[in-house]
Formats: sequence, C-alpha cells, structure tokens
Amino acid sequence: MGTQHRLAMFAPFIALCAAHPLLADSAADSASGNESYEILRASQEVFRSVAEQLRPSLVRIETVGGTQPGAAGTSPGGDPDDPRQPTPFVDRPGSGFVVADGPTTGIVYSADGYIITSSFNFVRDPALISVVLADGRRLVADLIARDHVRKIALLRVDANDLQPPEWARRRDIQVGEFAVALGLAFDAEHPSIAVGTVSALDRMRGHAVQTDAKLSPANYGGPLADIHGRVIGICVPMAQRPGELAGVEFYDAGIGFALPKHHVDAIVDTLAEGESFYRGWLGIQVDLRSSDGLIVTNIADPSPSREAGLRPGDKIISADGHRIRHFGQLIQTLYMVPAGETVTLCVERDNELIEMNVTLARNTELGYLPPPDEEFDATTPIPDQGDEEEDN
Amino acid sequence: MKRPPLTSMAAALGFAAIVSPAHSGGFGPAVDAVLPRVVKLYGLGAGLEAGYGSGVILSADGVVLTVYSLLIDARRIRAVTSDGTTYSANVLYRDYARQLALLRLVSPVDESEPVGPFPFFDMRCDGADAGFAGLRPGDWIVAAGNAFKVADGAEPVSLVHGIFSGRTRLDARRRVKDFPYTGDVLVIDAITSNPGAPGGALVDLDGDFVGLIGREVTANLTHTHFNYGIPHDVLCEFMAESSGGAEADPLHLAGLNLRRRTPDADADKPFDTGVRLTKAGYRTVLPFVTRVQRDSPADRAGVRKDDLILAVNGKNIKDVDEYDERMNDRAPDEPVILVIRRGRRILTVQLEKPAEPVETANDPPDGEG
Repeated sequence: MGTQHRLAMFAPFIALCAAHPLLADSAADSASGNESYEILRASQEVFRSVAEQLRPSLVRIETVGGTQPGAAGTSPGGDPDDPRQPTPFVDRPGSGFVVADGPTTGIVYSADGYIITSSFNFVRDPALISVVLADGRRLVADLIARDHVRKIALLRVDANDLQPPEWARRRDIQVGEFAVALGLAFDAEHPSIAVGTVSALDRMRGHAVQTDAKLSPANYGGPLADIHGRVIGICVPMAQRPGELAGVEFYDAGIGFALPKHHVDAIVDTLAEGESFYRGWLGIQVDLRSSDGLIVTNIADPSPSREAGLRPGDKIISADGHRIRHFGQLIQTLYMVPAGETVTLCVERDNELIEMNVTLARNTELGYLPPPDEEFDATTPIPDQGDEEEDN
Repeated sequence: MKRPPLTSMAAALGFAAIVSPAHSGGFGPAVDAVLPRVVKLYGLGAGLEAGYGSGVILSADGVVLTVYSLLIDARRIRAVTSDGTTYSANVLYRDYARQLALLRLVSPVDESEPVGPFPFFDMRCDGADAGFAGLRPGDWIVAAGNAFKVADGAEPVSLVHGIFSGRTRLDARRRVKDFPYTGDVLVIDAITSNPGAPGGALVDLDGDFVGLIGREVTANLTHTHFNYGIPHDVLCEFMAESSGGAEADPLHLAGLNLRRRTPDADADKPFDTGVRLTKAGYRTVLPFVTRVQRDSPADRAGVRKDDLILAVNGKNIKDVDEYDERMNDRAPDEPVILVIRRGRRILTVQLEKPAEPVETANDPPDGEG
C-alpha cells in the first residue's frame, strides 16, 4: 500500500481529529512522517478530553441491599400478593447473568436534581441508593421510576446545581464515528474509558444507537459520547427480546446499545411523575406447532386482545404493518412496545381480513386463560391449562 | 506530540538489532516491539485450566515473566519463541500472592548449553521513567498473547488492541475461589480474559512494556470477565523480590492465605470503635447501629443509634458480616472512616483510637458485634 493511498485512507480521521480544538495542531503536523501513528497519539488526547469534559455530569451510584432477580415471580410486573398468581404471562429475567451490587454510573439530566441511568442498575431493587456527585458530595437518591422496555431509570437527589452534559444532536450521530463509553464502576473519581465506533443507528426498533465500544455493567448507565464530549446516548443492555437482563450477555462482545436523547426526552416527564414503563402484553396464547401461520389458541380474560375483539382461531397476519409468519416475528415486532401503547393487528378470520387496535397491557392486568376447549366467553375467569403453547 | 526516534526506542527495548521497522501503520512500533518478546508456553493442563499460555522475555539470556498457573507446576514446561525455536523452561520463582512466576529458557537437549541472546523488554525498574507513570487512561494499548493457542509453531502470537481504561484495585474471583491478587491492575477494553493470553505483554503505542496480561478472573464489582494487566510497577516489586533468591511466601505457595499474628494477640487487635450492630443468626442484616458505647470513639465522632453504615474505610459494605470483616482487617492503630446514612443525609465520620482502652466489660458477649 503506497503512502498516498494510506494518506487518503486516513484523511477522514485527520479531518475528524482536526475538527477537535485540541488536535488541530497535531493533525496538521501529521501530514508528514508516520501519519497514522500521529493520529493515534492525537486520538488518545481526544479520548481523555472527552472524559474530562463529561466528568462533572457523571455520578457514581451506590446501592445497599436487594436480591438477585429471580425467575417468573419477581418479574417487574409481578404482584406477589395477587392470589391469582402465577399467570402464564411472566417474563424470565432474560439471562442467567448474576447481577453484582458494585457501584454503577449515572448522568445528570437536569440541574435540579434529576439523574438518568440504566434500569439494569436497580434490577435487585436495592433498599437504599446513594449518589456521589463529581464534586464529591454524597446524596441519598430516590428512584422515581423505571422504563423496563428502554432500560433506563430516573433518580432524583436534593440538589439544584447539577451540571447536565451537552448531548449530540440526532442528525450529527454518524455510523463510523468514534464512540467513547465512560463508567465509574471501577474508580470513584476517574471514569474508565472504552473506545469504539458507532456501529449502527436506529437499532432495536428505532430506539438505540449500536456501538462496538465494550459496554458492560462497568459502564451501563454511563454515557456513550462522541469525540467532542457530547453524549450520543446512555449505555444500556438490550436485545431483540423482552427481559430485564436481556442483552447483558452481549457484554464486552462488540455489541452494545445506547439510548439517545430524543428517546429519553420523550418519556422523562412521565418518569418524573413516578410512572414506570413496563413490557406490553397482548394476553394471548398461540399454536407453536401450526405450520399454517400464527393461530391464536387462547385469550386471557380480561386482556386487551379480548377487548379489541380478537378471537381464538384468528390467524395473525401482521402487527403494526410488519408481516407475521411465526411467533418469533410477533415478539420481535412487539418487544419494544410498552404497556399502554397501541398496536394495530391484522388477523384473518373466516377468509376475511380484520384490522383491530390493541392497547397492550401489563402482565399484572391480564387474567386467566380459559381452557381451550371452552366456548368463547368474554366474562368467565377460569384457571389456565396451556403447556404446549407460548404466551405473549 | 512527538514520536521518539527509532534509535532511542531501540535502546529502551534492550535489543537494538531486533527493532526493525517491519510493520508500518499506527501500531507498527508497538507490534515490532512486542511480537519478538512474547513466547508461547505449553505445560500441564487439567479440566478448565489451559495447558498453554504466554510469557514475556525480560533478559537476553532468556528470563521469562508469566502468570502463576497450573501450567507452571508442570514437570516440564515448553517455550516457543517467535522464531519457532523450542526451549525448555525452568521455574525460577513463584509468587502466589501476585499470581506471577519467573522462568528461564534453557536448551531442551542440554541445560548447561548457553541459549540466546533473546530480544527482551528491559524493565528499567530503577530508571527515571520507572513504572511508566506516563501511561494515562485513554492511551492505546496493544496486548500480545497466545489466546486460544491460535498461534502455532513459528507463528507470532495474536494481537488485540484497545484502550487503557483506568487503574483500579482488583477484587475478583476465579470460579468460586477468591483471586489472591488484590493489588492494582490496569483495566483495558481489549479482550484478554481468555485461555492462552494471560502472561502475554501489554505495550503502549511506542512499544513500551506497561503490564502483563493477567489471569482469567471475574470481577466482583460487575460479575463480568475482567480484562486487565498487572502494572509495570507491581512487576518491578515482584522482580526485586525474586532477585532476593528465596521462594515467595511458602504459605502463599500452598494456597493458604493466612493472617500472621504476633504472639501478643491483644496488641495486634484493632481498637474497639464502640459501634454495636444488630445480628440475627445467619440472615443478611443491613448494618444499622443498634447501640453506641458511651465515650467510645464512635460516640465521640457522633455516631448515633439507627445510623446505617454504608462504607468502612472506602469500601462499601452490604451487611453486618462485611462490616465485621472490614473491622477485623484493620491495622491496630488504623483510624476508621465510616460513611453513614442518617435520615436523608449522608455523613462521613472518622473514629480515632482512644488514648486509653475502652471499657468493654459490660458488653453482652453474644448477638452483637
């Protein structure tokens, strides 16, 4: 590879670095000599400056107490006092991962005491949460609400002088740009730095920026930032399926996700009111053995599907415009839709296509499944019997 | 931002002839420096313990630094240098506490036959730049080791690049056992926590040897595989001890991590803070203060009943057992700094050793601590 070719290859990086005020000089120097070596040297300074710039907006979150997320019984929507428990509509945590109780990271959202972090950091439901600000103040934090779908949590501390970070504008986030992930798990003062690139935009049904920076519990809740020190998104575990811990198994694998600001902004007012977001359920069972599309075999009573007019025997053709041929496709279409949001189902019944809007419910709002052989009746609650079937 | 001239780099690397600008590009100097100085090791394996690993050459006559592992306990260890030559390796020194070992390459035919000279990393432990304090979070690093023994024969070991994330103290375990080394480590975002890579070298952009790839462990703080290096300054401490000749602490070698006690047990005991916590059998109990002994260090520092203790001397505690552990691990005169939660406030208090012993005769013997 000739020098000229190499220069051309690194030109975008030189431009990238030159755009950074710290690097204007060094990038100019690099036109001669070992240019790629110089760019690497210069990039180190950039990564450090990103950490320094964002440090005032980072907090270390410490928790006391709490237990491991168990199987069904402790799923977020579960209500252990409900005599009808367990219903078939429960999530497994989504991973065999054992959650540690080490310190985690959060980002100042507003000067008046709101802090956002990953809901991963509270899956143990700790008894106490304290937050250490960049200036060393240690404050008790209240967990205001969680979004179990987008995997973030909102905390509040009594302070009015917090420093929110600058966020990257949505249109400025580019695939291929450097991405710096910061976390305070290992060091209380100096954020640990992991570097990668933005791998993809609008992953997870349009919700997440994907990065190959090593994301793990060491930096969940911390920022993924661009080289200008602007926050691209908040680092969270995610996977294409529901579950509180889904996606943790990707840790350090070069597949990580960050929730960008516009998604945070869209829900933060609701969270601030103390309302959490939960995974949305249709409340149906389907026949997994059917080779003739996705046939509904049973519908919980009560459930949003029953209210919307869905019947056993209906074949689900599409959900929100996405063609559904098997159960996995239904899950992939709905796993990022929280309870309370409406999806449009198109079903086939008696050779007719019927469209209906179903407002997804929390699993705690779903009733029992009637035995499949029972005549369809919207009012009788009967214990569930299904075992060869899947629920959603 | 200046690249050191090749000649000074060559001098720093201890073996000028080997440093040839064979690899160009950004990581070229690092690659040129590290590849000839890492050896592939083969020895004893069992179960999940890999029978292979990596080592770093530290002298022209073939002293090799590596991690302590089952591999090192093999009757016969084989080392293959980057040019494909096979040597035997004799164990010179083992350090269970640091999980490090020192080997010497010898001829597999006749041990008295001189071998080398080898290209090597000059540790420069006493030099002006000892400890490579220059390595800063955000710096690029290249890790070289025989991960999954992908490299075979004369093939050079595998390289991964990443960022030096920061320095921290290691709190980790290997499967169910606590990992004995609890000193400082270099956290990196390159993946080295795999069979084979441990014992390999971490170098910076200039090819300076900054750390040794550490053994596969799981970090207790995150419950994730942890990618790290043993820092240069810790390696220097190890080298200084090893040059003393005697083997490392035999207790450590036996795998026993025993606390040493002087015969005068009382003099060695940490002072009583006067804090009393609730205990309830085997159950995990949050460390709430149930009683403060009058005129005790805790009393004078303002600790009150119902305070919740969050941390002791910088370490978070989650239950009474951890509190006891931290308290018992103190040096006799070491002050105690408690972070406590009282209502909605979080306070830090320092408890000093009292001038006279605190009266403890009235304490109930059981159920408190």
